[in-house]
Amino acid sequence: MSTRSLAIPVWAVCALVLLLVPAYGSPTFVDLAFRTASLIVLAISWNLMASAGLISLGHSAFFGLGGYVGILSANLLGAPFWLSLVGAVIAGTLLGSGLALITGRMRGIYFAITTLAASEGLRVIAVMLPDLTGGAKGAYLKAATFPGVLAINLAMSLVAVAACIIAWMVSRSRFHYAFRAMRANEAASQMLGIFPLKYRTAIMALSGGMASLVGGVEVWHGGYLDPAVAFDLHITITSQIAPILGGIYTLSGPILGAIATVFLGDATRIALGHLQGASLLVFGLVLVFCVLYLPQGIQGGLLRMLGKRPSEAAAEPKLSPTVATGAAKP
Amino acid sequence: MTALLELANLRVGYGQSVVLQDVSLELHQGEIVCLLGANGAGKTTTTRAVSGLLAPWSGEIRFAGENIASIPAHKRVELGICLSPEGRQVFPNFSVHENLLLGSYSKKARQRRAEMFDEVYGLFPRLAERRTQKAGLMSGGEQQMLAIGRALMGCPRLLMLDEPSLGLAPKIILDVYEAVATIAKRGLSILFVEQNVQAALLVAHRGYVLANGQIAAAGTSAELQNSTLVQEAFLGKKPSLLATDGARGHSAAVPAI
Amino acid sequence: MDIFPQAFSDAILLAGLYTLMAVGLSLGFGVLRIINFAQGEMIMLGAYGAFWLFTLMGVDPLISLPLLVVAGFALGWVLFHGVVAKVLDAPHINQILLTFGIGLAIQHVAIILWTGNARSTTPDYATTSSVVGDVLLVHGRVTAFAAAVVMVAALIAWLQWSETGRATRAVAENRSAAVLMGIDVNRIYALSFGVSCALSVATGVVVSFILTITPFMGFPMLVKAIAIVILGGLGSIAGTVLGAFALAFAETFVSYYLPEGSGWAEGIAFVLIIGILLVRPRGILGQAVET
Repeated sequence: MSTRSLAIPVWAVCALVLLLVPAYGSPTFVDLAFRTASLIVLAISWNLMASAGLISLGHSAFFGLGGYVGILSANLLGAPFWLSLVGAVIAGTLLGSGLALITGRMRGIYFAITTLAASEGLRVIAVMLPDLTGGAKGAYLKAATFPGVLAINLAMSLVAVAACIIAWMVSRSRFHYAFRAMRANEAASQMLGIFPLKYRTAIMALSGGMASLVGGVEVWHGGYLDPAVAFDLHITITSQIAPILGGIYTLSGPILGAIATVFLGDATRIALGHLQGASLLVFGLVLVFCVLYLPQGIQGGLLRMLGKRPSEAAAEPKLSPTVATGAAKP
Repeated sequence: MTALLELANLRVGYGQSVVLQDVSLELHQGEIVCLLGANGAGKTTTTRAVSGLLAPWSGEIRFAGENIASIPAHKRVELGICLSPEGRQVFPNFSVHENLLLGSYSKKARQRRAEMFDEVYGLFPRLAERRTQKAGLMSGGEQQMLAIGRALMGCPRLLMLDEPSLGLAPKIILDVYEAVATIAKRGLSILFVEQNVQAALLVAHRGYVLANGQIAAAGTSAELQNSTLVQEAFLGKKPSLLATDGARGHSAAVPAI
Repeated sequence: MDIFPQAFSDAILLAGLYTLMAVGLSLGFGVLRIINFAQGEMIMLGAYGAFWLFTLMGVDPLISLPLLVVAGFALGWVLFHGVVAKVLDAPHINQILLTFGIGLAIQHVAIILWTGNARSTTPDYATTSSVVGDVLLVHGRVTAFAAAVVMVAALIAWLQWSETGRATRAVAENRSAAVLMGIDVNRIYALSFGVSCALSVATGVVVSFILTITPFMGFPMLVKAIAIVILGGLGSIAGTVLGAFALAFAETFVSYYLPEGSGWAEGIAFVLIIGILLVRPRGILGQAVET
């Protein structure tokens, strides 16, 4: 049996496990599944943006916005669980497409900085509007109807499975080719009849909605939110570490990476728990290591061990190592 | 006597695509040699390879008898290889004087700075008049003079000029070539790239014709002037043979003379 | 009492610090075309360096300044040759993630070594003050301003008139033309990265006696430095000075004249970033940069 035909049953079993754990797992596993599912969605969301050449350094903006929309719609409007999640998705979608339109043609550094500014800016707003958000002291969820822990955990698993399916569908659509073209050369892709702004807005909306949804579910799970939690740099960091560690621009990379990141975080917490900050130190080193030595992540590393060429990531354009590159004129 | 510059079976390209297939040429002390060829034939690539901006894939670049193919570009300036690059590439936010100061950045040139300033400002009085002007605000002709002057400031043993007439008015081209001729009279060795064949052959002692990344013809200026190949290629009589660059990268059957 | 003179002088003093804080980032970007997301952590390291030298050995921050600047340069030099050089020609994403990862690692080494507790350096002049007309001048802030001005002036003079400084500007303007001048571009890169780290460390030293020192102090300062650099135009030193004054004045006046202004002032940098990117992405004095 080839690896390819094996892949679908394997993924199906994984999805099933993820969906069954909230109901039948021990508390430790339920918690583990919840955190993994949450990070899978964030990682897929980050990876979707990266696939379009957009590096987000402010994924916590979406996460935090979703969290606040979730908690505020429940507390102020009495929205039930599912409705507050719809609200979170809409808010994330709007923020995503708004950022895409603001940044326009700019990518790379400018885009990264804009997302960073958006996240920090939202944090300041959340701190400065205490009447609405509870300010720096934070706010507790006071929902009229509480769906139950099982429903919330199950919702996160469902969202994770749905995110995987969406990512798979995107990879099968025209977006896939548009991404490649956009990463390689935006101007050229425009000439090929691919309209980057249209694709970029769509992908930012999709990706932003996903990340905000996670924030929405998390706030029901935790029951509390303050600006430091909502717009925590930690969210930004884990959502980028996971796809990079797993294999950027690939389908399975963010999933593998999310599992590995949760594992790595827990392992350092257990091993070096007395050292505050150890897990983020490890993440920082992992980031540096991956960029320098494992550009295709775990996925690429595994494929190489199996003696295969990493499919998509390998096709990335690499700059030629000339002596001193200037404007190369052939 | 060994040549000052000698290229042996040079093969260079960008990324995956080869530009120079197999180029061999030589230039002796005090000689003025021009490289002719259509757009995309590999003239600029040759100067970039000699100056070290591009690393050769194979073959040798010998300067004063020594293979310099693996010496980094900035050290070749120290050896005395100075290029006035295609498109002039002056530093637009620097004054004329600062551009020339940069031209004499290398240790050897720094010691002879005052002397070279006199020489360059003498050669191009226009630059002396505008020494505090920002280079980016000058005309194309003035920028070209600055680019040549800047290369001269490096005290070259071999001066390379890449398309000094590009985009200039005919009268300015004349000025520029007059200066080149003056420099040449002082015994400096010059390798220059030109599309303007008539002007080039007027100044040069010898020339090479590049086509599809190979030397298609070589000879003295007079020989090239009369060569049917050059006439066909550049005087528009039968442009099929040489004036294509679409076929670059594939071996084309070009007769070498 | 009219608070304008006080606000004005506070803004000027802050602008000096902001200039020093952003000028290193600007130099690094101008020459290497890399935004160093670890720059904030260099500021933090500088502040801790000054704190420990003062607390353990009683060395005045102004005396440890030159020492720490040299150490910062060395750190930058090592970081450049160790890691940054490897991603110079890599896609932006690699450069951003790499420097971000370095910053993250440095920050958490600091947390592990020195805990998250807030500290402060307290030389005598940190808290004394004098009144000139309607204006209260805290000596610590004036000292920090003076030190910042001296360093920025030294940087500008070096760039303008020294052989290597001129070469550095040339590399920033046109890398391959600079090579043709005989400039060793890699050396200039390492040098610029080192100088840019040294300037950040210097920033940390001079803020050590006017701000609270924590391992988290760097990141917000990095974001502000980025705002300033974008405002002034990426890679333009003169623009950076203008940007620093603009941000300092905006923040100071908002915090003086708006209710709860000091909280809102923290958000100005982000508004400026998004506003500038919307209106004039190249900044006040910058040139177009491909991204």
